Amino acid sequence: MSDPTTRATDAAISLQEVRKSFGRVVAVGGISLDIADGEFLTLLGPSGCGKTTTMRMIAGFEEPDEGRILLRGRDVVGVPPNKRDVNMCFQHYALFPHMSVQENVEYGLKLRKVPREERRRRVAEMLEVVRLEGFEKRKPAQLSGGQQQRVALARALVNRPTALLLDEPLGALDVKLRKQMQLELKRIQHELGTTFVYVTHDQEEALSMSDRIAVVNQGLIEQVGRPRDVYERPATPFVADFVGVLNALEVRADEVRDGRVVVRISDRERLVVPTGDRPVSAGTELLVAVRPERVWLRAPADETSADSRLEGTVRQVVYLGTLTQFYVDTTLGARLVVHELSDRRASGFVAEDRVVLTWDAEDAAILRVE
Amino acid sequence: MNPAVSRGGRRSLWIFFALLVVFLYAPILILIVFSFNDRTFVSFPWQGFTFRWYREFVHNSALLGALRTSALVATLTSVVTVVLAIPASILLVRRRFFAKGAVSGLLLAPLVIPLVVFGIALLILFNTVGIPLSPLTVAIGHIVIALPFAILTMVPRLERISVSLEEASRDLGAGPLRTFRSITLPLLAPAVLSAFLIVFTISFDEVVVASFIAGDQPTFPLYLFSQLRLPQRLPQVIAVAVVVMTVSSIVVIASEVGRRLADRRLERVANLQQEVSAG
Amino acid sequence: MTELDLSIETERRGRPVPSRRRRGRRGAVTAGLLSGPVSYLLVFFVVPVVMVACYSVGLLTLLPQDHYLSLRAWHDFLFGSIYMGVFWKSVRMSLGVSITSVLLAYPVAYLLALVAGRRKYTLLLVIVAPFLTSYLLRVLAWRVILGEQGVVNSFLKLVGIAPQGWLFYSQFAVYLVLAYVWVPFVALPIFVSLEALDLSLLEASNDLGASRWTTFRRVTLPLSMPGVIAAFVFVFIPTLGEYVTPLLVGGPKGFMFGNGIQNAFLQGFDWQFGSAMSMFLIGAVMVLMAVFGRFVSFRSVSE
Repeated sequence: MSDPTTRATDAAISLQEVRKSFGRVVAVGGISLDIADGEFLTLLGPSGCGKTTTMRMIAGFEEPDEGRILLRGRDVVGVPPNKRDVNMCFQHYALFPHMSVQENVEYGLKLRKVPREERRRRVAEMLEVVRLEGFEKRKPAQLSGGQQQRVALARALVNRPTALLLDEPLGALDVKLRKQMQLELKRIQHELGTTFVYVTHDQEEALSMSDRIAVVNQGLIEQVGRPRDVYERPATPFVADFVGVLNALEVRADEVRDGRVVVRISDRERLVVPTGDRPVSAGTELLVAVRPERVWLRAPADETSADSRLEGTVRQVVYLGTLTQFYVDTTLGARLVVHELSDRRASGFVAEDRVVLTWDAEDAAILRVE
Repeated sequence: MNPAVSRGGRRSLWIFFALLVVFLYAPILILIVFSFNDRTFVSFPWQGFTFRWYREFVHNSALLGALRTSALVATLTSVVTVVLAIPASILLVRRRFFAKGAVSGLLLAPLVIPLVVFGIALLILFNTVGIPLSPLTVAIGHIVIALPFAILTMVPRLERISVSLEEASRDLGAGPLRTFRSITLPLLAPAVLSAFLIVFTISFDEVVVASFIAGDQPTFPLYLFSQLRLPQRLPQVIAVAVVVMTVSSIVVIASEVGRRLADRRLERVANLQQEVSAG
Repeated sequence: MTELDLSIETERRGRPVPSRRRRGRRGAVTAGLLSGPVSYLLVFFVVPVVMVACYSVGLLTLLPQDHYLSLRAWHDFLFGSIYMGVFWKSVRMSLGVSITSVLLAYPVAYLLALVAGRRKYTLLLVIVAPFLTSYLLRVLAWRVILGEQGVVNSFLKLVGIAPQGWLFYSQFAVYLVLAYVWVPFVALPIFVSLEALDLSLLEASNDLGASRWTTFRRVTLPLSMPGVIAAFVFVFIPTLGEYVTPLLVGGPKGFMFGNGIQNAFLQGFDWQFGSAMSMFLIGAVMVLMAVFGRFVSFRSVSE
């Protein structure tokens, strides 16, 4: 355990063993996280996991029971929100209804006694960044949801904070607008180089926007890493299940050879998976996971040299436009999900077809060793 | 941290609140205490605990007569007002019609008219047409004053009763009258009761308009007025006041609790509906 | 083609548009149901007020043969009498009462709406309850307390201080009692408008650097203004014509316009003059409603 005081203080935000309870409910159970300058970090997790509480502690609206929160190396526990150099973008925008866009955006600047000319200039600049030039005189009630979102963003960013905290900002927008805004947010963050701390329960959103994702569950961080790492090498079953769709198989190792585990299911079925650095020997119970898009569907008669083979029957086919989902009941008893691109190479299987599921060893991973 | 108050601010606000509550209730408590003071003047020093004033007012026939008159007027007022207010409220909430703004303005106008002027206006009316002054004329005036209050009590409740309940009734075959009787009225009942109580209280307590058009039989407030010139009658008056206030407080609290319960039931229905329609 | 048109009409506003015959019948039912309350008000509200107006210009008089159109009463009232002075005094006093009531009620409403949490409705009832008890009895309570032989003065006498004359039959007494009467009522619309505030607005203001006091000044106060103005209007208008309180605790120094009107009618027997005063008061009220009426919404009045 490295000494916290010697930890690199070039991190924009540093959470150290932060804990918070509400009565007997432990909302945050001991979170430590360093967020680098200019990074887009997402706190991802289901409702009630503590991600919003953590964000509010960074902003100053809640105080941790234990632990330290450092903003650019300075401990801000106990410092009220108006004196912290972070700004928040609220879930329902919280635009002041009685003020115009101009007045809303310059609110923080005015409090800092920035002279009028410079205020006007910075507001205009920021409105340009969020693509709302010319909207200065409008009132929030006259704006659409997406526009209000951008004003809230401008209002927070115009103060050039150390970090911007975004609390599920796109939740109230419809799907198409949300996707657009995701790209917008990424662009703005890039343009300004501000550190963004983003909270969401939408794993797709997290994957598409973040530099790093911290997966939060029941008040603890289960994994922090780049989107690809979190998706392809989930550290825990929860992460594997929450981020993307999970196929999990409970099996017992039969043989361990050359860094791979072999599980013989029947004379025509077997599973091969790399051991990773897990302590596996013959007889160990394992939880093995494989992503749906890495699994191939074949007819039982087909020849294949794939490492893993599993037989099963298609129960349901769901067409989702870009891809098609197959729900397959296997001889192991588990139901697996297979994703296929809906293109010319589509397998064409339908419900009740007998199929063989195949994948390469490297496409699977051991989630848990009993 | 609470963005609305600091810790010091919170303390100051609670202290202010406590002081205000003391200010609001002290006079009432003082009245209650002194109604048991064995002294003909309502003042210090304390001369002993007694029920004498309560006993005396029970034997005061003029006082009892005034109470009866007020009760009569208030009952008449309440019944007529509620009967007039129900159709008005329903139409205001459910229907669009010609000159709706003007009609609702008219229905609510009595709220802003100065009572002195209204009392005089009615006096002029009765005088010109030749109607003798009596408890009936008092009731006529009270109905006008109370009508907006009755409407304002029923309208919010009506707005909460979803239109789809009535539409379901019609869909199942009930005509408008049946729908009203079986669906609207029972659901409206708590508000009707509230309106009744509010109007009763207003009428019972009303003194300005009554002072102009009461005729020979004084209402209870008018009787109180007449006794004010006689300071030795005051303790009796106070005793009655205490009784009346106690009764009305109990009634108010009971009706408020009842209203909350009824509202909560309606909300549960509304929530269920929302859940169903959200799928 | 016809099928399509029908469905469009049915879908309009989500409810079927009735046939013309049904619409006519519904209109008749509406008119019938409204006729009760509307005609009642016409007869016992509009007509009497019109009669007062007629009296004020001499179209009607106490003695039927005396009538002639004249503006004598108006002239006397507006230019000749002390009653105009009384009117402005009433305006000043009403302003004072309204402002005092609002100033006293606002902190309480603020506390309940933003700080009190789950107990807020119960505590609100505690504040509002006195308003629901008899107005007359509450004024009476103060009369008993402030009077020369009342509670306060007899207490002072006990401890050796001279009785305070200014407590009773004075403008102070009227202010005190009226504020006492109105504060519970005024708390309600202010509470409603504060409760409707989105708390995240306050957090946002804080987040952007404002202190709590600045947040109050620039966010909370402006946004609660409609409720405050509604409350102010609710007090100001009735207090203009206030009659009972000045009569019971005001004495000659606390004499207000309402008392003046009553005087003119029941003591002076100059019904024309009194009517002119009455119409003037109604006119003042209507002007106020026209100016401030938009702040008074249905919601803020009905609890």
